[in-house]
Amino acid sequence: MFKAIVSADTLTDALDSVSVLVDECKIRLNEEEFSIRAVDPANVGMVDLSLDAAAFESYEADGGVIGVNLGRLQDIAGMANSGDLIRFELDEETRKLHIGIDGLSYTLALIDPDSIRQEPDIPELDLPAQIVLEGNQLDRGITAADMVSDHISLRVDEGSEAFYIEAEGDTDDVDLELTSEDLIDLTAGPADSLFSLDYLKDMNKAIPKATEVTVDLGEEFPVKLHYEFAEGLGHVTYMLAPRIQSE
Amino acid sequence: MGNADLRSLAALSECPFADIEGNVVAVDAHNWLYRYLTTTVKWTNDSIYTTDDGTEVANLVGIVQGLPKFFEHDLTPVFVFDGGVTELKDDEVERRRENRKEAEERLEQAKEDGDTVEAARLSARTVRLTETIHETSRELLDLMDVPYIDAPAEGEAQAAYMTRIGDADYVGSEDYDTLLFGAPRTLRGLTSKGHPELMELQPTLDNHDISYEQLVDAAMLCGTDFNEGINGIGPKTAIKLIKEHGDLFAVLEARGDHIEFADRIRELFFDPPVTDDYEYDTDINPDLSAAREYVTEEWEVDESEVERGFERIESSVVQTGLDRWS
Repeated sequence: MFKAIVSADTLTDALDSVSVLVDECKIRLNEEEFSIRAVDPANVGMVDLSLDAAAFESYEADGGVIGVNLGRLQDIAGMANSGDLIRFELDEETRKLHIGIDGLSYTLALIDPDSIRQEPDIPELDLPAQIVLEGNQLDRGITAADMVSDHISLRVDEGSEAFYIEAEGDTDDVDLELTSEDLIDLTAGPADSLFSLDYLKDMNKAIPKATEVTVDLGEEFPVKLHYEFAEGLGHVTYMLAPRIQSE
Repeated sequence: MGNADLRSLAALSECPFADIEGNVVAVDAHNWLYRYLTTTVKWTNDSIYTTDDGTEVANLVGIVQGLPKFFEHDLTPVFVFDGGVTELKDDEVERRRENRKEAEERLEQAKEDGDTVEAARLSARTVRLTETIHETSRELLDLMDVPYIDAPAEGEAQAAYMTRIGDADYVGSEDYDTLLFGAPRTLRGLTSKGHPELMELQPTLDNHDISYEQLVDAAMLCGTDFNEGINGIGPKTAIKLIKEHGDLFAVLEARGDHIEFADRIRELFFDPPVTDDYEYDTDINPDLSAAREYVTEEWEVDESEVERGFERIESSVVQTGLDRWS
């Protein structure tokens, strides 16, 4: 059983954070929350999303799992204006999801969840450094790095207590220094890892610019990017595997 | 026993890459390179793959095209090169040399006749692994940080041994002979498109209800790389005879047949020259810019021939997967 009403903005934010990695996903309709966990086919980037029942105008679910085509669902959500409400009702018999936006009703055929890539295990990571910054600071570093290279280095200097976003291209280099004063918070620790910009750029697109982003970082370890949306009732954690650094 | 004969006995199954991710494959290097040399040069003018002074380096293109298949599926190859040729195989080597000579002569004829398809086909058969090919293959593997070892004799015997003792998970070879060397699991088709084929020893033995020794004996009745078979004995008959009489010698005695050096040939399969004296590091960390320079500048291979392969290697080796941490 699944019956819910949610604002178009909240739904769009949730879907956007997952669609940067996968085209199809499973949605868990738990009693207390709506959650999605997915990894891209190359096993490089992972997203773990949860949206509390309280983020919905109304929410009733009993733990079912549905499989959806994200692009299709995004297109439907795109039919709503900002501030509109979207109504969902799952028809258990036909395995179709009825979606209502104002006078518009859309019946979405679901995908067999078993045909979708298995949900990944979340890697257990003990990451020594934590950087808390604004989405637009991260965006600035990523946008600049993308001008010169296809990979990006994230690094914490324990001595100077600063976070560095760096990129080395064939001819040009980029270096963004964010001191502990520039940052919302910094827990310094040994941290220096290299990442593919293809992935980080996509994740960055989904991160709201005005939001607070928590970055957990290690040495040649995956990075964890965490942020909240829907007034703290939605949680997204991205994990991205590093590239191997050449000496 | 020819490849077709052994194939009809072998237990084969499709093997999706997803099932074998993270494993180590001991690759019969000669067999692997040979495949690329024959397919790369097959339909093209061989002058593309030779330097200005005529040294053939198609092997470098083969390596760059062939490695991504391993890396993209998280397989670690360990290349096993042949050592000195086994004494008994000299006849076989001689026979192949003669075949090649014949093929070369026919190739000349085909070229004169302007039969390009026939010429391309024959040119594939005249491919040999030259000293340069051996040396440059090793140098390129060094730059790619891909492990390789030298077998005392047959590369496939060494690869089979490493798989048997658990140092490798699979043998990589197109040859069915790996069964006779006791390889528990062989991946075939690593040089072609699509998923590989898995060939397993124990299920092969179970299917025919014979022992490993009996499989070798049956193979020898049909003929192996080391001996001519007995005229008129195919794989089915061979298995039947071996089961009926117990072993090779009992079959030979009952039929009044003879296989020269039968004892020594059996020993070559049962107890081939192999070594424990090797070590390798499966953590692959290639120097891609040096490898690129080696192939395109030092050996003058056209960049367009190897660019795609290098790109695939870069994205598959340099990028880690999250599964490494879960």
